[in-house]
Amino acid sequence: MADKIRIGVFVCDCGSNIAGYLDVKELAEYAKTLPNVVYVKENLYTCSESGINEIKDAIGKENLNRVVVASCTPRTHEPLFRGTCGEGGLNPYLFEMVNIRDQCSWVHMQERERGTDKAKDLIRMGVAKAALLEPQEPIQSQMNPNALVIGGGISGMTAALALANRGYETTLVEKSPQLGGLLLRLDKLAPSDMDAATFANQQAELVKKHPKIHLLTSAEVDAVAGYIGHFNVFARTADGEENFDVGVIVVATGAQVLQPTGMYGYDGKTVINQLELEERFKAGTFSAQNVVMIQCVGARNEERKYCSRICCMVAIKNAIAIKELSPSTGVRILYRDIQAYGMENEALFQKAKELGVLFIKYDPNHPPRVESDKVMVQHHLLGRELALPQDLVVLSTPLIAGEDNETISKLLRVTLDENKFFLEGHVKLKPLDFATDGIYLCGNAHYPATAREAISQALGAASRASIPLSKGVMTAEPIVSTLVDEDACRGCGLCVALCPYGALEIQHTEKGRKVKVIPVACKGCGVCAATCYQHALSINSYTDQQVTEQIKAFLRG
Amino acid sequence: MQYSTDIRIIRLMCTGRVDPTMLADAFLEGADGVVVVGCHFGDCHYISGNYQAKVKVGLATRALDYAGLNPERISFSQCSSAEGDRFVSIITGFDQKIKEMGPLGSADRLPLPKLTEKIAIAKTALGKEKLRWVVGKFTEFTTTGNKYGEKFTDHEMWRTLDTIVMDELATFEILSEMQKAPAAVKDLAARLELPPPHVLKYVLALQRRGIVSLAGIEGNSPLYQVAEKSAQQTAHAA
Repeated sequence: MADKIRIGVFVCDCGSNIAGYLDVKELAEYAKTLPNVVYVKENLYTCSESGINEIKDAIGKENLNRVVVASCTPRTHEPLFRGTCGEGGLNPYLFEMVNIRDQCSWVHMQERERGTDKAKDLIRMGVAKAALLEPQEPIQSQMNPNALVIGGGISGMTAALALANRGYETTLVEKSPQLGGLLLRLDKLAPSDMDAATFANQQAELVKKHPKIHLLTSAEVDAVAGYIGHFNVFARTADGEENFDVGVIVVATGAQVLQPTGMYGYDGKTVINQLELEERFKAGTFSAQNVVMIQCVGARNEERKYCSRICCMVAIKNAIAIKELSPSTGVRILYRDIQAYGMENEALFQKAKELGVLFIKYDPNHPPRVESDKVMVQHHLLGRELALPQDLVVLSTPLIAGEDNETISKLLRVTLDENKFFLEGHVKLKPLDFATDGIYLCGNAHYPATAREAISQALGAASRASIPLSKGVMTAEPIVSTLVDEDACRGCGLCVALCPYGALEIQHTEKGRKVKVIPVACKGCGVCAATCYQHALSINSYTDQQVTEQIKAFLRG
Repeated sequence: MQYSTDIRIIRLMCTGRVDPTMLADAFLEGADGVVVVGCHFGDCHYISGNYQAKVKVGLATRALDYAGLNPERISFSQCSSAEGDRFVSIITGFDQKIKEMGPLGSADRLPLPKLTEKIAIAKTALGKEKLRWVVGKFTEFTTTGNKYGEKFTDHEMWRTLDTIVMDELATFEILSEMQKAPAAVKDLAARLELPPPHVLKYVLALQRRGIVSLAGIEGNSPLYQVAEKSAQQTAHAA
């Protein structure tokens, strides 16, 4: 920065939002006294068209090379003012925002003088930082237009088909020899009464025939390197290893049914789980006169606190199937709470009751006891124990996280929740994305889902994944880590191990081992810069010096 | 929703950016308290930055505590961007606590300006390899274990760090004293308020590493100085 620093400060009234509680005139006068400040303007609304134009004009006329706006929150207005600087001919990253509304006028409404003094400090700190800002350029990187889908159940097949139908070459990796996942073992799908395996096989045929889908069965993903747009994947197959590049990855690895070994006398013969019941339906071997189903077996307890969510509907579906198959068979469902959300599920719940299925609530502190020909349960309203006859007990067990989840989470550097299911980037803002760019999730891998929900999520994840694919070029914020002192770097790799995004790697250069930042993968959290003992790494727009100057500007006054 | 006017906010992308030296900087410049506010654990916007911050703020707190600062002047809190009320209660509580303590130097183990001198030494140590390396390995050692698969509890890690903090601060203080003039162990011990055998141990360790050399003998006491070849380096680093 050979040029002399020329800072313009724009102080916003925000109507009366700021001017009603702080002395904005005094703030503007004060700003004029600060080092490097050559121009100050008070605006009624800096974000209005006239305010924006005043910034643009001043950049040209006053030859400003830094702009500070003292107004509201960068969460809503930073992009606008950066854009304004860009239009005015100034690099958008030579802009600093000072929040005198959320941090002053709104929270010190009764303290005009002290609030104004604080606003002066904040402006002084902003100006001090602005003087040290450096221009930055958005990071652009080419996207590899191919996709990888991990898992060949209904979610994975749906996602792969959706991506391939959009024209993206998609590799589908399935661990088992066969496509279809859990659906292959189920009987009918509620509420459509569609045959689960038939449906899964239909989709599998579409996948196999699709010219854009490269199918690898009996295969596992072995290693993944890289970042959005540039993932390099090794998949181990029966014939050896395949190596290919993709731009995005969809995780659709599903879940597994908890085997209730040691619970309620489970033996797979007269005490079975819902999956085994459905297998009997399929094989036509179901026969029983009195069926008792027990819900929440191995779920919502100390070990597994979560509700698997779909087991109530599975029990209701199978109870109806029993009644339709053999109306004289008694069906009793012992439950803690019934999850039958949505119109169709509620209708099925009612239908089951109409068909004579009995629902009996039990207290988890007094769980039912399975005896040779009956189930004993404490009735919460009658206040006494009931003896329910049975010749078949069906246990409703939760879906639990896939056994490979930890391996996959390490391979992809994505997070798991406390139950080892995959964790989305944000519950509302990024429900189908991981926090790491370019990796998406759907279906049971995330949380127990019905086939219908899994399909919706798979379509959504494929849609999310095709956003960067369709753009062809990735543009990312340049507020990222930078190796500012290559000579200082010893290539120790401490930062590489701590980077949550896999955005750092060690390279062998002429000068020896050195760290390399992959800007497009970096999110700018700053863990590396705060860790490096050689102080070789820094974060653009949040350098050590900029932060220190803000501290000094505040405390030295 | 109102809170004290005595708080100034410095925006960082993630608490993971908080360098332990930044906390020292704030107290060097005269701040009476520093609160680091980040995401709730398990809900970090940057995946795991807040866990790193927890360790780094913890280290800075211990080092500054050892330097004489009242550790209550540093707080690490969690608050999501949707929890305005919680933010206000964190700030209000902290502000109250700081006001009860009074300005920097008043409720601390050392008064000003001695405290500032010691904080400057703590800052040097916080910027250096040894402490930063152990802190960088903290989460690895407590979760997946070291190279031999040995896992350590937080308590064990902090106990180790406490010892290293003590050694590092003493070492850098000795160097800082020697830079003023060659010194004898007993004088250094008096100035550092440490037992002479401890100081001798540090001085001999520095001598073995070639950082300190013998400057002469005064009476019965050898005088030590910062070795020529490392003088420039040390001066640069400090």
